[in-house]
Amino acid sequence: MLDALAPDDRTWTKASHLAAEVTAGGISALELVEATLVRIRARDPLLNSFTALTEERAHNRARALDEARASGKPLGPLAGVPFAVKNLFDIAGLPTIAGSKINREKEPAPRDAAVIERLEHAGAVLVGALNMGEYAYDFTGENIHDGPSHNPHDLKRMTGGSSGGCGGAVAGGLVPLALGSDTNGSIRVPSSCCGIFGLKPTYGRLSRARSFPFVASLDHVGPMARSVEDLALAYDAMQGFDPDDPACVNRAAQPVTPLLARGAAGLRIAVAGGYFKGRSAEVVQAIDRVAVALSVNRDIEIPQAERARSAAFLITASEGASLHLDRLRHRAKDYDPAVRDRLIAGAMAPASLVVKAHKFRRWYRDEMLKLFSDVDVILAPATPCTAPLIGQQTFKFGDQELPVRANLGIYTQPISFIGLPVVAVPVPLSPLPLAIQIVAAPWREDIALRVAYALEANGVATAPRPMM
Amino acid sequence: MRRKAIRTFKSSRTKRTGKSPSRPSARSRSSGLDHIDMLVATTAQALGISLDPSWREAIAINLRLILHHAKLVDEFPLADDFKPAPVFYA
Repeated sequence: MLDALAPDDRTWTKASHLAAEVTAGGISALELVEATLVRIRARDPLLNSFTALTEERAHNRARALDEARASGKPLGPLAGVPFAVKNLFDIAGLPTIAGSKINREKEPAPRDAAVIERLEHAGAVLVGALNMGEYAYDFTGENIHDGPSHNPHDLKRMTGGSSGGCGGAVAGGLVPLALGSDTNGSIRVPSSCCGIFGLKPTYGRLSRARSFPFVASLDHVGPMARSVEDLALAYDAMQGFDPDDPACVNRAAQPVTPLLARGAAGLRIAVAGGYFKGRSAEVVQAIDRVAVALSVNRDIEIPQAERARSAAFLITASEGASLHLDRLRHRAKDYDPAVRDRLIAGAMAPASLVVKAHKFRRWYRDEMLKLFSDVDVILAPATPCTAPLIGQQTFKFGDQELPVRANLGIYTQPISFIGLPVVAVPVPLSPLPLAIQIVAAPWREDIALRVAYALEANGVATAPRPMM
Repeated sequence: MRRKAIRTFKSSRTKRTGKSPSRPSARSRSSGLDHIDMLVATTAQALGISLDPSWREAIAINLRLILHHAKLVDEFPLADDFKPAPVFYA
């Protein structure tokens, strides 16, 4: 188990509070970074969430912040906040390994990913890169090259993936903030398994420039944290058009942090039924707690959700395979076999049906927009179960036994398929947490975050601190 | 050969149970391979991917799963003039 903590340490302090403390001079950015690095060195051997530390860079950055403060310059809303990123984001000076063996041979990245630049512009301090499922084709958080990420709530269990290191590092108190990516659920699944908050914004909202892709049609990036305010602060810092990402939409930034306190009052909220109906006691319990807290007594049917999941599955298989085709020809033996076999199979998917999946995507998007004329928020489970054991191959889903790797995202895929904004909020069930998806209409991250904030305020959604 | 493969593909799909499709029972007597196994072998060759024989079964299982999902998409009727968005916009 994790080592015991002094009650007055900053392990569990929110990013917003750390920034306020640094800004006020209660602690220097350098002291905060050093304490964070000490904690990572002490605990990460258990969690295996980091694949690289950027110590020298973090020290330099922290010193610059402390000098800026001393000279009266503004530090930014994330002043001194340590953060880490899934290792598919470019970090200047490091190869972007994306959880793979092959990418370790890449030249060091010449420049940071766009979202890292934006967070650091807001005062945050990058401290390292985080473990992930190979090339993001994963829901488990396991990695054959770097070893599995371990769940801080039970080290024998998965973090979920593919942003598994993000889940472990934030839930384990190593950093208050991490950046993940989400193609089919890779922010929301580890948020659920590890009991933290995660935001997958609208498709096209945040720049993916200088991150290693998986499925360009479906890839998103977003923050993971232990509080809604921290998600909002990070999200606001990263908003804004970026011509370096062809999918990034040229919209004005819409800051959400000032709107959080509006809460859920007046919003029309429904629980997703049918396909999303809970088939395990923990899913039913989590969704009921959230629905009761929000006084929701209405179900809504998302049309063709199962087919949407299938279309997302097909596009993912085909586009992911296309990305890797040349490496599969020349370096197939250097992949994790579980990823390699999926990718090679994806290369054989009939193109005519992949095109049909894209056509269906537009149909499904139109139908979902109709639903959002009648509701503002849809609630759905994030995962079909709590964190499975590391190495576990299948889980029980109603009366079926499904493979873990392909199916932990069974509830997330139909949502990200059309790029809807979602906040995963952790419900602290015992013994393990499970998250609920707060889904809003496109470009309404503010609404999803307001509902999440209300749930956090009344204690229904909270990031449980691991047992020490 | 080609018509047979297409027909077998259609008839071997499973019902919408959410389970991975089971392995079709019809196999070539001479080779012990079914149409999916042959598809894996020939498509890999066409794509220039060298397969270790020990990989083939897992690739075939994954391809069956993909085709199971593809069938759900294929079954959904959409008009000819219903076009995909060239650049998807949420």
